Amino acid sequence: MSVPSPAGAAQVNPAKKGSPIGALVTNQLTILLLVFIALFFYFGSQNSRFFRTGEISSLIVDFSGLVLLAIAETYVIVSGGIDLSVGSTVAIAGVIGAEVMNHYQGHMGQTALLLLGTLICALVGLLVGAINAFLITVVKMVPFVATLITLSAGAGYALVVSGGGDVGNNQPAIIWSSTGWWIFTWLSLIVLAIAIITSIVLHFTRYGRYTFAIGSNDFAARAAGINVKRHIASIYVLSGFLSGLVGMFWFIRIGSGSPTTDATANLEAIACVVIGGVSLTGGMGSVIGTLLGCAILTIVTDGLVFINVPPTWNQVVVGAIIAIAAGLQALRGTRSRR
Amino acid sequence: MSNAPLLELRNISKSYGSVQALTDVSFKAHAGEVIGLVGDNGAGKSTLIKVISGVHAPDKGELLVNGEARHWKSPHDSMEAGIETLYQDSGLAPHLTIGSNIFLGRELRRSGPLGKLGFLDQRAMERKALEELDKVGISVPAGRKTVSDLSGGQRQAVAIGRAVMWAKNVIILDEPTNHLGARQSQEVLNVIRAAREQGLCVLFISHTLPHVLEVCDRIVVLRLGSIVRDDPTSSYTVESLLGTITGLTK
Repeated sequence: MSVPSPAGAAQVNPAKKGSPIGALVTNQLTILLLVFIALFFYFGSQNSRFFRTGEISSLIVDFSGLVLLAIAETYVIVSGGIDLSVGSTVAIAGVIGAEVMNHYQGHMGQTALLLLGTLICALVGLLVGAINAFLITVVKMVPFVATLITLSAGAGYALVVSGGGDVGNNQPAIIWSSTGWWIFTWLSLIVLAIAIITSIVLHFTRYGRYTFAIGSNDFAARAAGINVKRHIASIYVLSGFLSGLVGMFWFIRIGSGSPTTDATANLEAIACVVIGGVSLTGGMGSVIGTLLGCAILTIVTDGLVFINVPPTWNQVVVGAIIAIAAGLQALRGTRSRR
Repeated sequence: MSNAPLLELRNISKSYGSVQALTDVSFKAHAGEVIGLVGDNGAGKSTLIKVISGVHAPDKGELLVNGEARHWKSPHDSMEAGIETLYQDSGLAPHLTIGSNIFLGRELRRSGPLGKLGFLDQRAMERKALEELDKVGISVPAGRKTVSDLSGGQRQAVAIGRAVMWAKNVIILDEPTNHLGARQSQEVLNVIRAAREQGLCVLFISHTLPHVLEVCDRIVVLRLGSIVRDDPTSSYTVESLLGTITGLTK
């Protein structure tokens, strides 16, 4: 109890009076953690290859590909909005980044080239985020519509720029993407570091506090002197920025910019957030929930292969997981509120 | 303490399009004074407090704090000048803890480099929030409870406590006893008295006339955007006050 917990911002499930063990078991985060552990051992018991270092390592890589989008979505949803455009932003950033890297390939070293690509992807992400921010805070569109526009336009523009196919072929990047330390690739470690920093910011800093406050009651936030418009704009810019970085992540993994790789990533990112128990009406949730949601989603989609379920079933299973998680939350919600 | 009134309005007028919401409103408010602001719906009470708190700028007229003319660009400016406003029903963020709400917009940071990076000292905020609320006579359950865990009365108490705690000059309370039971209303009135003791000026807006008569030193009656009466409370009765509000008497 003495550890400074994210409780100050909001609790997914404020511990009830009574035994601490009871509180721990009913805590949603504990349930998610237990589900994750159960799934891990279930897939392992079905197929012992699942426990190999290489498999765990690729599990972490897959987790890394999704986690930044899920965190971006957590910020947006906690603030009371939604960002449908994260998947498109990954595609458009990856494709434009790849075009620029293509142009300079051979003119500079590999490291410099990848850093340039990262910068371009980040800038494209910032730009898409800024467009969302403009549509929402200046034009005053609801976030759903504003980000639907950038979802559609972004995905379309990625196809236009790329001509429909993958852009570039950077084999050294693919080779580097599988190097690392123990079960972590360097690429995963970089992503996890960014994930940890952004998670800490949401729960322990003033920036995160304002995000929760605005999602909880934007009038109260405004009355408390918070510049709500500016803060909301910054959240969409942050979301775009993180999505842009994910575009570079995919470039390094597959050696090219793909207009289609992460086309459904916005749905998966929102799924992580929903599974993690973040309230879609804003103000409530924790990034730990999102991380666990992301871990569960990753382990299920990866694990299906090990129990001989064709990958074509992936999206159906993801739908089922969302249904279970959201259904349980709805039931708990009605019970505690009535 | 200077003799200049804490807050003074001079000939404030405000219209929304063709609707004249306030016409030449002038009054003075002194430290340690509780002023009732009453009037029927549409009399201009809300517009008046929004002008004082910086939500709306007046079309005409002057606003003085401690004898100095001031212009608010945003509610933030009036807060800086020591004016706290409790808006009807919407002052708190329900998902945040009591401490987080009390310190919303004025968060305490950790000491050292972490604080410079924006890290919050949540424990200090929770502790000080309870201390300060206790000082103004509000007791809330300890522990990191979110505001949504509190009863309606407790929520209102926390909201008022926050206003009293931060106000240096003026507190504006818009319908603070709305939806509250008799005992909870008395607690709110006690907090208003405690604020007066601290030398604050309280503007108390309410439709519950017995509460207004009970706690206020002076009552200002607004009708159709103008002040129609501004007298010490002792010169009113419930009947005469009601008559003045509706315009049926005098």
